[in-house]
Amino acid sequence: MAWLNPYSQPLTAVQAAHLLRRATLGPTLAQVKQFTGLKPDAALKLLLADKPAPPPPVDVATMKTFVGLPFNLDLQGQHANYLKNWWLGLMINEDTSAREKLTIFWQNHFVSTYATVSDARYLYRQLDLIRQHSAGNFRQFVIDMTKDPAMLRYLNGNQNVANKPNENYGRELQELFMIGLGGNYTEDDVKAATRVLTGWADTGFRVTTSADITVAFRANQHDTADKKFSAAYGNYTVKGKTGATAGDEELADMVDMILRQPETARFIVRKLYRFYVATEITPDIETNFIEPLAKVYRDNKYELKPVLTALFSSDHFYDENQRGAIIRSPLELMIGSMRHFGIKAPESGTAPFNQLGDYIRARAREQQMDVFEQSTVFGYRPYYDTGLDRIWISANTLALRSLFTDQLTRGSIKYNNITYGPDSVEVVKALSMPNDPDKLVEELTNQLFAVPLLKSQRDFLIDQVLLPGLPRYEWELEWNDYVKNPNVARKMSVKIKLDNLFIFMFRMAEFQMS
Amino acid sequence: MKRRDFIQYATAGVMTPVAFGGYSANAYGQSALLNSLASVANVNDRVLVLIQLNGGNDGLNMVIPLDQMSVYNNIRANIAIQESKVARLTNTLVTGLHPAMTGVRDLFNEGKVSIVHSVSYPSASQSHFRASDIWFTGASSNQTLTTGWLGRYLDTEFPGYPEKYPSTDMPDPLAVQISYITSTALLGPEQSMAIALQNPDTFATLVGDKVSIDPTITANTAAGRSISYIRQQQVTSVQYAGQIKAAAAKGKNMVAYPTGNSLADQLKIVARLIHGGMRTKVYYVSIGGFDTHATQTDATDTSIGAHANLLKQVSEGIKSFMDDLKLMGIDKRVAGMTFSEFGRRAGSNSARGTDHGQAAPLFVFAGEGIKTQFVGKNPNLSDLDNNTIKMQTDFRSVYSALLTDWLGETTSLSTSVLNKSYDPAPMFRQTVAATEDPFVTFRMYPNPAVDEVRIESELFGPGGIQSLRVVDMAGRQVSVPVERFNNSSYRMSVRGLPIGNYIVAVEANERKLTNRLIVNR
Repeated sequence: MAWLNPYSQPLTAVQAAHLLRRATLGPTLAQVKQFTGLKPDAALKLLLADKPAPPPPVDVATMKTFVGLPFNLDLQGQHANYLKNWWLGLMINEDTSAREKLTIFWQNHFVSTYATVSDARYLYRQLDLIRQHSAGNFRQFVIDMTKDPAMLRYLNGNQNVANKPNENYGRELQELFMIGLGGNYTEDDVKAATRVLTGWADTGFRVTTSADITVAFRANQHDTADKKFSAAYGNYTVKGKTGATAGDEELADMVDMILRQPETARFIVRKLYRFYVATEITPDIETNFIEPLAKVYRDNKYELKPVLTALFSSDHFYDENQRGAIIRSPLELMIGSMRHFGIKAPESGTAPFNQLGDYIRARAREQQMDVFEQSTVFGYRPYYDTGLDRIWISANTLALRSLFTDQLTRGSIKYNNITYGPDSVEVVKALSMPNDPDKLVEELTNQLFAVPLLKSQRDFLIDQVLLPGLPRYEWELEWNDYVKNPNVARKMSVKIKLDNLFIFMFRMAEFQMS
Repeated sequence: MKRRDFIQYATAGVMTPVAFGGYSANAYGQSALLNSLASVANVNDRVLVLIQLNGGNDGLNMVIPLDQMSVYNNIRANIAIQESKVARLTNTLVTGLHPAMTGVRDLFNEGKVSIVHSVSYPSASQSHFRASDIWFTGASSNQTLTTGWLGRYLDTEFPGYPEKYPSTDMPDPLAVQISYITSTALLGPEQSMAIALQNPDTFATLVGDKVSIDPTITANTAAGRSISYIRQQQVTSVQYAGQIKAAAAKGKNMVAYPTGNSLADQLKIVARLIHGGMRTKVYYVSIGGFDTHATQTDATDTSIGAHANLLKQVSEGIKSFMDDLKLMGIDKRVAGMTFSEFGRRAGSNSARGTDHGQAAPLFVFAGEGIKTQFVGKNPNLSDLDNNTIKMQTDFRSVYSALLTDWLGETTSLSTSVLNKSYDPAPMFRQTVAATEDPFVTFRMYPNPAVDEVRIESELFGPGGIQSLRVVDMAGRQVSVPVERFNNSSYRMSVRGLPIGNYIVAVEANERKLTNRLIVNR
């Protein structure tokens, strides 16, 4: 149990930054400062505090929401973009909270995509459901998701009827959503689950005359016979029911059956571990961390907050070796960088807001994290496939990551005359000794990187990148000159050098790590 | 060279597909061997292209069993392709292709495609995850491997990657995937053996042209290991950038590829890089969307719809690619294989879709060297395993054939890469039945013939003729229209044949039967 022991010391600045990098979409320097000195349990209370639902996405033309209106075919593509941008805006502008990162986790767990569902109102509704349940009860989450209109469409649950089963959801419910292949369920279990799930359908899909979107259980389409499961579920039989409540009763019965299997809690906890702590799960970690944390999940009747609290307060999480152990996803990299420099998105739904959102989505898409558009139901490949987070990295994606950070530094992400990027001179001005290149690089790299750089690397940054071919004292002269008499030319001369430094640092392998 | 097999199976040469009276199988075997020795020098030029159909392709609507249309129509009534629309193949009356696959049909009729029926592995998984991993790594269903089969092949062939490369002997990437990220199939022991690239023209600009990374050693922690990995990726990509740029500038596509076809876009780049002189051994392309649980066909016309569009992209992509390579004069160096993680159920569901299944057919194509155009037979739709198609050929037998018969590697290398010895599937080999009886034959009249010939025999059995080939005295196969009356009676038109002597060879009822035909006018 030792690894899951609560770490109860006040957080150092390095530990606070580690917690915020992992639990949120990335901290500002002020947030790191705010969390330094807090004990983990107090920090977690702040991060997991319940918050009201955000106001829904709006149409740029009216600045009113479209999610409660009838379907509009002409505007559909735009509505989908507004929805996706709206979510990105919530990530960029979020205060100190774990919620949007959890929303990313669960949207990639219960995947549905706009490309398949093709009604933005449906996806809004699903994302809202995900956000509500993101730190809540998994049992209720699964039950609600099973009946979610977008999910019924995405995995063909709405076409699964008695005597004409469609196995898509019945299979993925077990393989991807609840127990995983380690549950050793059989093909017959897929068929049995499919029969339990017969009869559900959504209404209101792409209807232009009414805004109502509902879910109905059609008792006459339900398979009322008993459903016998294999030894993987203790040979349990979900009793066939009839009538209007049959669907809900059998669904709850089956979900409880699956939740009773110890593998179910392990399956979810492993996925959380890979998302939040480290991608490699050794037998030691399985025994000393996953297993006891899965027990916390079961003992708390599948409530997530106690699990997240235990995870983020554990000795294991604060082990120094965990720092920088995960390769940042494209959204973590891009949005984390913006948040680090305190860059905010403009008012949600406005034209420049959507321009910024479109830009980030295009970059995320080419870096293989197309927002709300996973190419398969498994989610983004780096969260499940062999190689895990290293899959984010290829010759191509590395270059594209750099393309983004180059543009961020050079100030070329600019809409309506507002630049979304750091002013390197202002960033450096806020350091304790900006005129000392040694201090400057040390402080800056400590802030930017999850792992500390070696002295030789910092020397390289000073002598080869910041001041190639110049003695170090030249920096102090130039900087002091600028601070004493700040004009455009003097600012430019230090800014060019600092931009080169920033661009290089962002291109370093260390910057890819969280 | 000593690691290679000197006996090559996949070589050019006019080979008749079945042995017939007067010519022994041995004689043909011998000439195949002689023929192959002549082309050993080219072995190093050979390229393999993998085409992944992501999501589980419905093989039963791609390769259609014309001998079982009533069962076929019965079990998938709402998506069955009408018999009259099926794309017909020469030399067979029992197997056809999806109507959207005219490109592959044409290549097949030119002898450049082999259809490998019912490919899978024992205890097949119906999970996308697991099944994809199995195909990528070459594992058995009860085994987990962490490297890809192509990754292991390249690691054996080019030891010391990436540290010792680029080298004088191998200045180009070992493998190229037209994508942003690389497949598990290409994963070597340490890292991917492939370079992922999206656009060869801008690749060099994107990754930069000089290595500017400090060489500091990193700690042996999770972070340190990943940092080293990322640095190595940076170094490797920068090192190859120049070669890729040069090849992209030198290579020129010679045909117009279809537009709006993502697979064709990728294959177009591959053709250009090969033409540009890249010595890369393996190219990898993919197309998604095959997970057709619902509405895979149009409601009224089953020959169009989502699945038809995908197959059309595959077919047109491959056809344009092979045509392009032919004009470039390099098609003989290139072979390709399509694959998908599993086939789908034999019977459809009520949503005009199909759920996850097991075995499915795949295509192996090559500019030259295809010798057996059908490996295995149509799946028996009356003998299903829980509504899924049973396996005939293990996918690793196909891999084994690509490694040995195509890429010229030794049997022992193939065994080591695949962790076990698998008999190569015979796409690149003559298949001669050992039990032929030269005295049993069929009726063929009139003979000599002027315009039409009737072919009849009770020996054809309930399945009728499976394949029919006509070969002239120079050993060239010629194409003739054949019409079927019933299982034991057929009519063949010989109007298009020049005057002369021919051999007619049919395959029926598990036997091969031949007869001599004279055309005289």
